[in-house]
Amino acid sequence: MIEMHDVYKVYGNGVKALNGINVKIDQSEFVYVVGPSGAGKSTFIKLMYREEKPTHGVILINGVNVKRVRNWKIPYLRRNIGVVFQDYKLLPNMTAYENVAFAMEAVETPHRKIRRRVQEMLELVGLYDRMNALPSQLSGGEQQRVSIARAMVNNPGFLIADEPTGNLDPENSWDIMYLLEEINARGTTVVMATHNKEIVNTMRKRVIAVEQGVIVRDEQQGEYGYED
Amino acid sequence: MKIDTLFRHTREAFRSLTRNTWMTFAASSAVAVTLLIFGFFLVFAFNISYMATELDKQVAVRAFFQPNVTDDDIDQVIAQIKKDPAVAKVKFVSKEDGLRQMKENWGDDESFFRGLEKGNPLPDGLVIQAKDPQKTKALSDSLDKYSQISDKSYGEGVTNNILGISEWVRNAVFIFGLGLAILAAFLISNTIKLTIFARRREIEIMRLVGASNWFIRWPFFIEGSIIGVLGAIIPTAVTLVSYNAVLGILNADGAYSLFKLLPMWPLSMYVAGITTILGILIGVWGSMISVRRFLKV
Ligand SMILES: Nc1ncnc2c1ncn2[C@@H]1O[C@H](COP(=O)(O)OP(=O)(O)O)[C@@H](O)[C@H]1O
Ligand SMILES: [Mg+2]
Repeated sequence: MIEMHDVYKVYGNGVKALNGINVKIDQSEFVYVVGPSGAGKSTFIKLMYREEKPTHGVILINGVNVKRVRNWKIPYLRRNIGVVFQDYKLLPNMTAYENVAFAMEAVETPHRKIRRRVQEMLELVGLYDRMNALPSQLSGGEQQRVSIARAMVNNPGFLIADEPTGNLDPENSWDIMYLLEEINARGTTVVMATHNKEIVNTMRKRVIAVEQGVIVRDEQQGEYGYED
Repeated sequence: MKIDTLFRHTREAFRSLTRNTWMTFAASSAVAVTLLIFGFFLVFAFNISYMATELDKQVAVRAFFQPNVTDDDIDQVIAQIKKDPAVAKVKFVSKEDGLRQMKENWGDDESFFRGLEKGNPLPDGLVIQAKDPQKTKALSDSLDKYSQISDKSYGEGVTNNILGISEWVRNAVFIFGLGLAILAAFLISNTIKLTIFARRREIEIMRLVGASNWFIRWPFFIEGSIIGVLGAIIPTAVTLVSYNAVLGILNADGAYSLFKLLPMWPLSMYVAGITTILGILIGVWGSMISVRRFLKV
């Protein structure tokens, strides 16, 4: 469960990105975060995996106050949170397999467990056959699926995505969405910032709309609600 | 740390060392120069302290009896001196012994002393060693109370001079060496900086998926230590080879046997060990500087 109580974020340059956020996201929910550019969606996402600290307010992840977590303990907090980005952030000189395995090595998983789990994840995202391809040999959609496999390989309770379909054509975007829905169905909480009107209005989920750093709308089975 | 992880860190470290060959070379060279100076200093310091203790062992009071003392007087004085708890050893040197020693010291010019055996002008004497060589002077002063002793002397100053010089050299080398070590650490930190830069995406992803800070740091520490070890090899070899040469020259020419130098073993082991450890310390220090600056969480 993710809870935010009266959260403010002011960046070093004085920009007020979030201005009093109160929200509660339950286990196994699927949430879209929508809003105009610069509204604070990415900041909202970054606070969840503690890339940024709130200037004011409390953020609880499964009851743990992330602001209080010591710096050296943050990695352990992050092991329960998979993160996906618009630009995939794959390592270019590693194959699909190695990119996913890297996430397991980084958390010191024993070698003998890595192979099976990585193959399992590549199978889930439909890239078992392409495991030896480099990112440059994969389409954007395939790269994003590798990055989702990497985010999920350590079996986190949360998957957080910042515009995961932002660089993809509609067909590839839908592939990604079915995958996220599948992951969500298996019990992982999914929070996704997006600009994709068609997706939000078709695959109906909870919608949280942010404008100028405040939540202006929060609906189950919500709509996108903007014209862009 | 798991053995898998250790292998992985070491592999990563070697990978970036070979990727940035020139920086690796520059950084290890800087370490090498630092350690070369340090190595010579180390050999010097070891020998100085060895010489000082050797000389200390030789430092003794030489006391000479009045010409007219009897054997009883001598026995009595020896017994008295032996009672002093500060005394380690008392050796009687008869006038005949004294003459023989003098002849030996003069070697070929021995003829000069021929015939002196009859009317030997030397007095009987004692060689007295203090338990603590530093207290030799006090021991010498304490002999004043014996009227049977006419004269005495000890090797004042020699030890102090040697220790004084070595301290001066030590300080000079320390300051110079510290400067060089800082330079070397700085160069290493720059090498590591390149590595961090080349791997910033990997690091970003490692942090994203929850790699511990130590997991991220280790390869850089290993990289720094390897640079340190690489930088230690040449200076260790140069120091030991030149020392071996110096030993060869001194031993070949008996005239210099006055300087008693330490043998190659175990000195070479100490020098190699200490130099390598220092190399590693400089390496880790250098990597810590850049890791701390770049991996702030
Ligand atoms: N690291 C940062 N430093 C300063 N200002 C930032 C930073 N990140 C975002 N901002 C500012 O905060 C506001 C919200 O940005 P962001 O959360 O990225 O919005 P969104 O993702 O909805 O477009 C914007 O005005 C943006 O310029
Ligand atoms: Mg954004």
